[in-house]
Amino acid sequence: MNAWLYLHFPHLLLDYQLALQPPEQGVVPRAVTQGHAARRSVVQANSAALQQGVEIGMAEVLASTLVPELKLHDYNAKRESTMLTQLAQVLYQDMAQIVLHPPQGLLFEVQSLLRLHQGFAGVVARMQTRLQQWPLRYVLSSGYSPLSAKLLAASGYAVLSAEATDVKAAINKLPIDYSGLPPAQIDKLRDVGLLTLGAVLQLPRAELGARFGRAMTTYVAELAGELSPPQNFYHPPDRFDQQVELNTEAHSWTQLLFPLKRLLQQVESFLEIHQWSTRALLIRAHHRSGPVTQVPIQFAHAVWQQRDLLSLSQLHLERQKLKQPVLALSVRVQRPEPRQAQEQAMFAAPQAQTDSLNALVSRLQARLGESKVQSLHLHDDWRPEYQGGLKPWQAKPTSTMLSLQRPYWLLPEAQPIERQQWQLQWGPERIVSGWWNADAVARDYYIALDKWQRQGWIYQNDKGWFLHGWFS
Amino acid sequence: MAGSVNTVATTVDQRPAALHCLSNFSFLRGGSHPHELVQRAVDYGYQALAITDECSVAGVVRAYVAAREQPLRLIIGSEFHLENIGTLIVLVRNRQGYAQLCQLITTARNRSKKGSYQVFLEDFIETLTQCSLLWRPLFKANLEEADSDLIKATAEQLKQAFGDYFWLAYSRHYRADDAQRYCYYQRLSIEQTIPVAAVCEVCYHEPQRQSLHDVLVAIRRRQPLETQVAQLKPNQDYCLRTLEQLQQCYPADWLAQSIAIAKQCCFCLSELRYEYPAELVPEGKTASEHLRELTYGGAQQRFPQGLREDVKAKLEKELQLIAQLRYEYFFLTIHDLVQFAQQHGILYQGRGSAANSVVCYCLQITAVNPDQIDVLFERFISVERDEPPDIDVDFEHERREEVIQYIYQKYGRHRAALAATVIRYRLRSALRDVGKALGFHEQELRHYLRQIDRRDQHSSWQQQLLEKVSGLGKTHRGRCLLALTESILGFPRHLSQHVGGFVIASTQLSDLVPVENASMPERTVIQWDKDDLETLHLIKVDVLALGMLTAIRKMLQLIQQHHQRELGLADIPQEDAKVYQMLQRADSIGVFQIESRAQMNMLPRLRPQTFYDLVVQIAIVRPGPIQGDMVHPYLRRRAGLEPITFPSEAVKQVLERTLGVPIFQEQVIKLAMVAAGFSGGEADQLRRAMANWKSSGELRQFESKLIKGMRERGYSEEFAQRIFQQICGFGEYGFPESHSASFANLAYASAWLKHYYPAAFYCALLNSLPMGFYSANQLIQDARRHHITVLPADIQQSAWDHLLEAGARGVQLRLGLRLIKGLSQSRIEALLEQRPAQGFQSLQQLRDVGLSGPDLHKLATADVLGSLAGHRYQSQWQSLALQAEQLPLFMDQLTEPASNLLPPAEFQDIAVDYRTTGVSLRRHPLALLREQQQLKGYKLSSELAQCRHKQLVRVAGLVTCRQRPGTASGVTFVTLEDESGLINIVIWQKTARDFRQAYLTAQLLKVKGIVEIHGEVIHVIAAHLEDGTEQLAQLGVSANRSRDFH
Repeated sequence: MNAWLYLHFPHLLLDYQLALQPPEQGVVPRAVTQGHAARRSVVQANSAALQQGVEIGMAEVLASTLVPELKLHDYNAKRESTMLTQLAQVLYQDMAQIVLHPPQGLLFEVQSLLRLHQGFAGVVARMQTRLQQWPLRYVLSSGYSPLSAKLLAASGYAVLSAEATDVKAAINKLPIDYSGLPPAQIDKLRDVGLLTLGAVLQLPRAELGARFGRAMTTYVAELAGELSPPQNFYHPPDRFDQQVELNTEAHSWTQLLFPLKRLLQQVESFLEIHQWSTRALLIRAHHRSGPVTQVPIQFAHAVWQQRDLLSLSQLHLERQKLKQPVLALSVRVQRPEPRQAQEQAMFAAPQAQTDSLNALVSRLQARLGESKVQSLHLHDDWRPEYQGGLKPWQAKPTSTMLSLQRPYWLLPEAQPIERQQWQLQWGPERIVSGWWNADAVARDYYIALDKWQRQGWIYQNDKGWFLHGWFS
Repeated sequence: MAGSVNTVATTVDQRPAALHCLSNFSFLRGGSHPHELVQRAVDYGYQALAITDECSVAGVVRAYVAAREQPLRLIIGSEFHLENIGTLIVLVRNRQGYAQLCQLITTARNRSKKGSYQVFLEDFIETLTQCSLLWRPLFKANLEEADSDLIKATAEQLKQAFGDYFWLAYSRHYRADDAQRYCYYQRLSIEQTIPVAAVCEVCYHEPQRQSLHDVLVAIRRRQPLETQVAQLKPNQDYCLRTLEQLQQCYPADWLAQSIAIAKQCCFCLSELRYEYPAELVPEGKTASEHLRELTYGGAQQRFPQGLREDVKAKLEKELQLIAQLRYEYFFLTIHDLVQFAQQHGILYQGRGSAANSVVCYCLQITAVNPDQIDVLFERFISVERDEPPDIDVDFEHERREEVIQYIYQKYGRHRAALAATVIRYRLRSALRDVGKALGFHEQELRHYLRQIDRRDQHSSWQQQLLEKVSGLGKTHRGRCLLALTESILGFPRHLSQHVGGFVIASTQLSDLVPVENASMPERTVIQWDKDDLETLHLIKVDVLALGMLTAIRKMLQLIQQHHQRELGLADIPQEDAKVYQMLQRADSIGVFQIESRAQMNMLPRLRPQTFYDLVVQIAIVRPGPIQGDMVHPYLRRRAGLEPITFPSEAVKQVLERTLGVPIFQEQVIKLAMVAAGFSGGEADQLRRAMANWKSSGELRQFESKLIKGMRERGYSEEFAQRIFQQICGFGEYGFPESHSASFANLAYASAWLKHYYPAAFYCALLNSLPMGFYSANQLIQDARRHHITVLPADIQQSAWDHLLEAGARGVQLRLGLRLIKGLSQSRIEALLEQRPAQGFQSLQQLRDVGLSGPDLHKLATADVLGSLAGHRYQSQWQSLALQAEQLPLFMDQLTEPASNLLPPAEFQDIAVDYRTTGVSLRRHPLALLREQQQLKGYKLSSELAQCRHKQLVRVAGLVTCRQRPGTASGVTFVTLEDESGLINIVIWQKTARDFRQAYLTAQLLKVKGIVEIHGEVIHVIAAHLEDGTEQLAQLGVSANRSRDFH
C-alpha cells in the first residue's frame, strides 16, 4: 500500500515567480543560474528557454551564447523555500499532513485521506485540481515510504499507483545518480559497477556496511521501508505578509493587477485555512529608491474570498497614482478575525491598540490620502532640498544628519532676489553636487541680511541670485 | 573671513605651486592620471607640482615623463594618515631626502600586508632630516571633541624635529566650516609659532572629474553612490585652480609660504643613478676588463676553430658599445645567473634584443648560433634609442625558484626585489565597478557585458551597448555608466608583481625606490613597473619560467639513460632536413610554439626549410601580421606567385629578409621611421604606446601622423592603413624578432628530439605537464600514432613519473601513476620505495606499508591494481573494505568471501579511465560506436587523404579543440579525434549560427561537409553539424571536455 505522495517542483523559483506575472512574461526565454563567475550554470529554465536548447547544468556563458536573448535570474534558495511554504499553505486546504522538503519538495501522508476522497485516485485527483490553479511544472509520485516517493518524484521517474509493487519495481530500476546519496558515495558505487538502486538493494547489507558505513545501511533500510524516521509536519502560520518581486518595473497599478491577484489568492488560502476573514489589508509598492508607497485598504465588512478582496482593492487603487516605477509588491493582512465572531465584533469595543501611532497614521492615510500625512525627514545629501523637509510618512526614518549650518525654514522653492537688496555676511559655501540623478546643482550660498535686517540664506548660480531660506 | 584678500603683485615669482596632489596611483582616491595633473599645472602656469600619493611614489615616474620637457618643477612627496593626528605630507628636498622618504614608505609598508601601511609619528621624527613636512591637523567641527593635548604635543615634537621645514597646511574648499577651520589654523599657528602655508588638497586635475571621483569613493566603500553622499565632496574645488582663484581663496602671505616651500625642493628623478652590485668584478679589475676576459674565454669554447674575422669585428663592436653605455654589470649579472644554472644543471635560454649578440653567445647566455641568423646582430643595443638592454632569461619552470632563491641569497632581500606590474581597469572590471556604484544590479551588468563583442572593429563598445540594450542611452544613469566607464578605463587598480623582473641594487634598494610586500609570501616588489624602470634607466633582470625547458632537460636525460648518447641543448645538430620535412607535414604536436591548430595550419603552407623560416613561422601566426593582413602577401611571395618588390631602398633595408612584408614588431617601428618620417623619439613613444595599447588607447594619436606621413612619401593609403592595423595588432600581443629567434631555437630543438627520439620526447613532455597546448591523452594518442608502444600504469611496474622500458620492439612508454587525479607525489613515492622485488602480493600489503584508504581507492578506480585484485570493480570492492574508517560492527564480515561482482563492460572501463586519469589505452569510443553500426557512412580520418578534392563527406569525432583565431572573419577551427587520428574542421560563421547548439556544446560532433585537400593539408569545410553527444552518453562515456580557445 502506498501511503505517501511526493510533489517535486524542479523549476520552482522561476515558475512561481512567473506565476505572479502577466503570462506574456513567460514567452521570453528565462533561466535561473547559480555558482561563481565562470562556474555559473543554469539550474532552472522556462519552457521557452528549454525549447531553444538551454539545458539544466549548462554553463551560463554557454546558455547565453546559445540564446542571446535569454533573461537570467539569480538563484536564491531562501526565496525558493519561502515559495514552497506558501505552496504548502495553499495545499493545506486539501491535505492535512504535509512535510516541507525545502527548497523544492512537499511530502504528503495520504492514508488518512483515503476514506474522505474515495480512495487513492480520489486523493490524487483532488491534488491535481488544486495544482491547476498554479502554472507550475511539477512531478507527483507515490511511494510506500517517504524516501521512495521522494526519489521517484525528484528523479522524474514518477509512479502514480496505489500498489507498492509498482513503486518497488521503479525503485529497482532507478539509476544510482538519483539515489539522493552524497556525490562521493554515488561515485564509489558507480566505481564498483553498482549502477541502479536495485543492484545496491541486492547486496548483503553487511558487506555494504563494511564499505560504506552505517549511514548506508540506514539508507537502505529506509528505502526498503523498514525504517521510518519521524516526520515534522507543517503548521500554517497565523500571519500573512508576503512580497512578490517583479521581473520588470511596473509603472501603473493596472500593471500590478496580475501579481496582486495571485497574492490575494494566497490571502484567501490563508484565511480559509484558519477560517478567518479580514477587514483591512496593507498593500505596499516598493521602489528602487525612496520610501515605500503604502496603500491601506479598509473593508466595510469582513471578507475572505479572493474576488471580494480584489474588487474592493481595485476600487481603492484606481484613485492612486504611482510616482515611481515599482520593483516589488507586498500584501499584509491586518486584523484578521474568526468568521463566526463577526457579529459580536461589530458591537465590541475597539481592540486595544498595540501600536497606536502606526494605526493612527494608517487611518489618517486612508482618510486623507497617503501623501497628506507627512513627517520631518532627514537625508544625507549636499543639496539642501534633498537634505531635509517634509516627506510622506515612513515608519522608520533612516538618516544621520550632516552637521551643517542650515536655516530652519527652507523655502519650498527658491525665490529670485535683487542682489543689491542684500548685504553678504558670510560665504560662500559652494555646493556642486547631485550629478547622478540628473538634478545637479551648482550654487554659492551666502548668509546675508535684507534691508529689514532679517538673516536669509541666499545663493547665486548661473541664473542669478535666489533666496532659499531664513535663519530668522 | 579672509575670503578675498587682494594683494598687489610683488616682484617675487608669484607662479603658484601645488604641494598636495593625489594621482590615481592613490588607488580609488585620486581621480586623474599623473600626466593629466602635470599638463593642467603647465597650462595654468604653475612653477611646481608635487605628486603626494598616499604612502607611495608609484605614480611619480609618469609625472616625471610628462614634466620633463616643461617649465614645471616636479616635487616628489607622499602623504600619510595618522589616527587622531591628521595628515602629514612629506616633500623631498634633495637626493638624500628622497632616499629617506623611500625608506619611510618601505618601513611603513613592510609593517603591513599587501596594499596597506602602518606608520607612527616617531618614524617621521627620526628619519626625515632632508625633507619638508606639511601638517594638516585633525580638524573636527566640534573643537571640544578633538584631543587638543595630543595636537599640542604633536606640534611641539614636529617643530623640534623639522624646525624651519615645518608648516601647517591650510586647504580651503568653500565648505560650511571654512571659517572655523581658518580660525583654528590661525590660533594653532600663533600658539605654537608654526607658519601656515596655503596648500590646496588636489584630488583631480579638472572640475569635470568630480563625478568620476565620487564614483571612486563609492567603489572604495563597495556601496552604491547614492547611499554614500555624506562621504562625497560637496563641490568641485578639489581640482587644480588658477592663480586668480587661488588669490581669491587664500591670504597672500600663506600663498607666499607655499611658493617658498616649493623653492626649497630641488630634487629631480634624473639624479637617480643606478649602481650595480659590485661583487661581480674581482678586485683589481675594471668591469670592462672582466667582461672582456669572460667573453673571450667563452669564445674559445663556442668557436673552437677560432673566431672568424667578421664575427670578431662584431664582438669588438659590441664590447665597445657596452663599455660606452656602461652596461658591463648588466651582462655580468646575467652571466652570474646562468653560471649558477649551468652548475646546477638547470636548462635556460636568453632572449631579447640584446640577447642575440655575440657577447651573449660567448657568455653562454643564449644558444642562438650567430652563423644561423647573422642578420639579427644588427639589432643590438643602440646608442640613439637610449633604452636599456633587453635580456629575458627563461629557466625550467619546475626549477626557476632555485634561481630566485640564489638571487635572494647572493644579494640579500634588502638589495633585490621584483618589479611591479600595474593592474589597471579594463572594460569588464570598469563597467562592473562603475555600474555597481551607480546602483545597477549585478545581473544587469553581466547582461550588458555579454552584449559587447570586443573583436568588433567597426563599432565601439558604447555603440554596441546603445544598439543592443534599448533604453540604456535614454536614462541619465545609463549615460553616466557609459561616460564614466570610459573615463575610468586604464586607471590603475593596484600593484601586482612582475612575472620575473628583478631589480638588484648595489647597497640598499630602498634608497632608490620603496619596496613593499607582495601578496605571495616572502616576495617583495618595488613601487615601479618596467616602464618606470626603463624611463629612469634602471636595470631589471628577467628571470622567467618556461615549461619546454623542463621537458627538454628531461628528454636529454632519457636519451642519455636509454640510448647512451650524451647531448646538450647546444649539441643538437643544426638544419636537419628530415626535421624540417616532418614540420612541413604539420607533424608538430608537442613541438614548442608551433603545435597549435593555427600553427599546424600554417606549417604546410609556409613549408619551413631553414632556421630563419622557423623564426618567421613563429611570428606570423600572431595578431599583428594577421590584423595587418600580411600573412597572405608573405605566403604568395614565398611561393613565387608575386614579385618581391620594395617601394624604396630604405624600406628594402628594413624588409628584405621578410620578402618585403613586415612581420616583426621592430620592422613596423622602423617602417614608421623610414616610411612615415617618425623621429627616433617618436618611434620610441610609438613603441611604448604599443606596449600599453590595451589599457590606455594611446595608439590612436599616432594613426593620422603615420598615415599622413606615409601618404606624403608616396605610399598607398591602403598599405598605410594595413601598417596601422598591424601596429594595433602588435599592441594586443607584441612579438619582436629577437624573441621569435630564441623561441625558434627551442622549437627546432624539440622538433629534432621528436623526430629522432620520439619515445623520450613524449615521455618527457608527459612528465612536464601541465604545459603546452595538449592534454596527456592527446599526447599519448599522438605517440601511438607514431608507433610507440604505450603500456598502462600498473602498481607492479610503474613509477610516479612515466618511464621508458626496453621492449621487444624498442623502447616502450610505461605510464606513471602521476596520471591518476588526486594522488600526492610524496605519498606514492614512499609507497613505491617499499615495493618488493617480486611485487606486492595483496591489497592488504599496500595498506600495511602505509597507503591510506582513500589513496588505495584511487589506485583501484584507476585500474592499476589488476594484478592483485582482479578486474576494476573487484579491486575497488576489495579496496573499499580496507578503508580506514571501519566500524567495529562490520569487522568480522571482512573475513567472509566478498560478493562476486560482474566485470565492467568495455565502454564502462573507457568511461572510468577518462574520469580517473584523463587517458584511456583501450579502444576509442568512436570505434565502439562504429562497431555498433552507429556511424554508417562516416569516413575515418585516415580515409580522408584518399578522397577527391571537394568531395562531399561525413565525419564524426570527439571535439578536442575549438579555436577562434583573433581575426574578424568569424571562422572557427574545430579538431575532431576518431580512432584513426585527427580531423580538421573549418566552420564558417553562418554554419556556426545555423547549428548553434551542436557548434557550441557537442562533445561528439558529426559533420557533413566538403573535403579540401591542398598537398598535406586536409580540411573539412562543414556544411551541416549534428550533436552526437547523446550516443556517447548511451555508451556511458562522457569524453573529456574540449579546450575552448577564443
